[in-house]
Amino acid sequence: MMEKEKRKKKVLVKEKVLEMPPVMEELSTVGKSAVRVDAYAKVRGKLQYGGDMDYPGALHGKVLRSPHAHALIKKIDTEKAKTLPGVVAVLTAKDIPGRNGFGAIIPDQPVLCGNKVRYIGDGIAMAAAISEDIAIQALDLIDVEYELLPAVFSPIEAMKPEAPKIHEKGNLITTSKIRKGDTEKGFKEADIVLEKTYTVPILEHAYIEPDVVIAIPHADGTITVKGPMQAPFTVRRNIAPVLGIPINKVQCIQTPLGGGFGGKEDSPIDIGARAAVLAWKTGRPVRMEYDREEITLSTCKRHPMIIACKIGAKKDGTFVAIEGTIYNEQGAYASLGPVIPPAGGVHAHAVVMLPGPYVIPNVKVDGYLVHTNHPYGGAMRGFGAPQVNFVHESIIDELAGLLKMDPYQIRLKNCFELGSETATGQVLDQSVGLKDTMEKARSEFHWNKKWKQAPHPKEVEKADKRRGVGMAVGWYRTSIGTFGDGCGVNLHLQEDGSVLIFQGLTEMGQGSYTALSQIAAEALGVTLEDVRIVTPDTDVAPESGPTVGSRSTTLMGNAILIASEPIKKSLIESASELLAIPTERLALKNRRIYDRDDPNRFVDLKEAARRCMATGRRMMGQGWYAPPRPSLNLETGQGSPYFVYTYSTQMAEVEVDVKTGAVDVLNLVATFDIGKAINPIMVEGQIEGGVIMGLGYALMEEVVMKDGMIQNLNLQDYIIPTALDTPEIKPIYMEYLNVHGPFGAKGIGEMPNIPAAPAITNAIANAVGARIYDLPAHSERVYMAIKKRLAEGN
Amino acid sequence: MAKEKIQFEVNGKQVSLEVDPDELLIDVLRDHLGLKGTKAGCRAGECGACSVILNDRVVTSCLIPALKADGGKITTVEGLEKDGELDPLQKAFVEKGAIQCGFCTPGMLLSAKNLLDQNPQPSVEEIKVAISGVLCRCTGYQKIIHAIHAASKTIPGNEV
Repeated sequence: MMEKEKRKKKVLVKEKVLEMPPVMEELSTVGKSAVRVDAYAKVRGKLQYGGDMDYPGALHGKVLRSPHAHALIKKIDTEKAKTLPGVVAVLTAKDIPGRNGFGAIIPDQPVLCGNKVRYIGDGIAMAAAISEDIAIQALDLIDVEYELLPAVFSPIEAMKPEAPKIHEKGNLITTSKIRKGDTEKGFKEADIVLEKTYTVPILEHAYIEPDVVIAIPHADGTITVKGPMQAPFTVRRNIAPVLGIPINKVQCIQTPLGGGFGGKEDSPIDIGARAAVLAWKTGRPVRMEYDREEITLSTCKRHPMIIACKIGAKKDGTFVAIEGTIYNEQGAYASLGPVIPPAGGVHAHAVVMLPGPYVIPNVKVDGYLVHTNHPYGGAMRGFGAPQVNFVHESIIDELAGLLKMDPYQIRLKNCFELGSETATGQVLDQSVGLKDTMEKARSEFHWNKKWKQAPHPKEVEKADKRRGVGMAVGWYRTSIGTFGDGCGVNLHLQEDGSVLIFQGLTEMGQGSYTALSQIAAEALGVTLEDVRIVTPDTDVAPESGPTVGSRSTTLMGNAILIASEPIKKSLIESASELLAIPTERLALKNRRIYDRDDPNRFVDLKEAARRCMATGRRMMGQGWYAPPRPSLNLETGQGSPYFVYTYSTQMAEVEVDVKTGAVDVLNLVATFDIGKAINPIMVEGQIEGGVIMGLGYALMEEVVMKDGMIQNLNLQDYIIPTALDTPEIKPIYMEYLNVHGPFGAKGIGEMPNIPAAPAITNAIANAVGARIYDLPAHSERVYMAIKKRLAEGN
Repeated sequence: MAKEKIQFEVNGKQVSLEVDPDELLIDVLRDHLGLKGTKAGCRAGECGACSVILNDRVVTSCLIPALKADGGKITTVEGLEKDGELDPLQKAFVEKGAIQCGFCTPGMLLSAKNLLDQNPQPSVEEIKVAISGVLCRCTGYQKIIHAIHAASKTIPGNEV
């Protein structure tokens, strides 16, 4: 009792509820469903993607890849390949001008393997030729002698002392943990304890646009690399040391992305560095494109994990303790997996997110990130969260069943609200709308009417098809967090009142150019049409960090607001002179600068802009925004790793064919707390797309491995949802304003993807009484689960 | 391989050119005719980004030898707008938020165009079937389906 009181007091002392300042003026651009700035170019088929660029005289580069999962390279003979007419260069590891390694966090992946290959698809040699066909023929003429090594394909096997060592330092990369309270004591106090193990598969991003780059060397010792990339600064940071030149001699220019989903944070480093080396060595422009099967074979994937979870609760459903052990398979290279300060990779996020958005006094999580000879895990929408969300939402649902509780009520009883303390000891002091998302989903979905206890096996046996409903909740960070984040922009006012934005975050379909233009337009009192975002180009854009972590709107939005201040000041001073009205009475809106006391007295903003130019007033602003500094103690897993979170509730209704195990998702309600929605129709688009990607995770997607080789390289075998798989989705958002966000925004990109899968698998369990512990829940797996359940009886 | 001469109509214009017998329609459209709105996503006929209308059927141009188009009539995304005026489908895609990364958009538009040409009042199920050959990884399809439905309402006689 004493202990409990003390604890409560501590929370209250720490609790400092932050309030959003009221917005003084009515917004004219932000919060409106403006048409995307790139919509017309896209709908007319005119937008130039990377693959549409012609570069006269460019050579074509191709990569020779390892057919073995683990082997020593004894000899590479490129002589025959070099003599093929049309071949300009054939390169191996010894030809790399600088560091033979790249990687988003650590440079452990060879540009070309010198003495060892670590997965099927590892690059060994490259050819540049006058045509792609000749380059491919050249690869066929390269002779490689290997000495095969034993390979390991499971993280648990790879952790054993006798396992083949994939890297010098061993197979275990990072151990991450959370320690809070005393779980042993917690489980003793529990009335019920449930322990289960879950597995989640490797996933392919399946962005529809293939990876492609053009690398152009220049006479002054600089090089330009153009292509679809989510993180041009990360690409540049890797290419420079590979060529052995300073960062300021590498220019990365982004082309519009035909989808990224985290995959194009990593793959452009790989293809970019290789094309750059070929261009550097030949002195000629080189175009390199990975075809679909090469992308699936060689680029990063969603991390597969094996997760054991144990939860304890009181009879009334109050959670008292949770433990989790994550075996997180990194594959051959580190990519965006590890936790190496200042980088907190996928692994850190998965560990932090495992206890879910619930108040649980006793928490113990151990996460092991382990190398295997499989393709490597990188960033993919949700960054480790979908994996662990499936776990906590499945086990809680099962626990509710054992307690004969409504799964809605057990979640409501334990979930975060304002002032809650997370498993890492972070007090949520603002913008926590989770309970409202639950309530809204419940009423929109008619949960109370639709939900009933899962059926007895006898009822299932009699049926051909059965319907059921399921729900899941989730949380997700905004920003890179863990150890720090920051982002810059330059804003330039033009003399006609139009505006240019120089920044480095990329448009990959999510709509960032539109949302950021809306924020700039609102801040400067111009219209959306007056703002243009300059293509991200590392030569002219300030460091902006990567386009990841649902951070663009919030971080870049804030940077833009900061950058707009000096420009606003110039405009208002100029208008003050033109109108003979004191500056403090003036406001900017809809291309006018007007007297707040008498809005009929105004000057056109372009007149003020012209005067700024004529009178030598400052016409540019620079913005740098770093969110409140995060923290994470690696020993205890305690701290505030992210400065704000978004929340979601999803409810699904499914129909299960009892005789075949086929699952049809009938309808789905998805509610969100995302802070201010800068562009509502684009928010809905993010929700619907994310939910369907989650449906793919739930029911069909899996990179199938056999002896280290991917069995489903192209899209006829790697199945993603089509229009026929799409249920009716009701996207709903709520705006619990974020005090640290521009106009209160938090972010939306990744959250929708997260609770969809467990909402669907929980609905399957509700329909047929059989639980799914391994994704995806394809018909064979569901059929077997039903069969097992029927055999058990009761 | 000897080149062969072919002739077809693309977006209302007659073209004649010489192609290799193994050249695919997608490469002829993109590389010979500069119609880069037709996208290559998988080159296996699965993603549908390369879909074009050939003789009133939607085909994946990455699987069709260019020779097969000889004497035919092709519509690509560039052929949807008439005299600078967007097709109702294009307008609906813009207005209904049916576009994200845009890479599947041409294939989606052409699948929808062919559907509405043959079935001006499709049901939601019919729309889903018509676009099921085109993969979209961004939108979740719902806004695309709504846009096609909305465009069908603008066809004379279909207004509700």
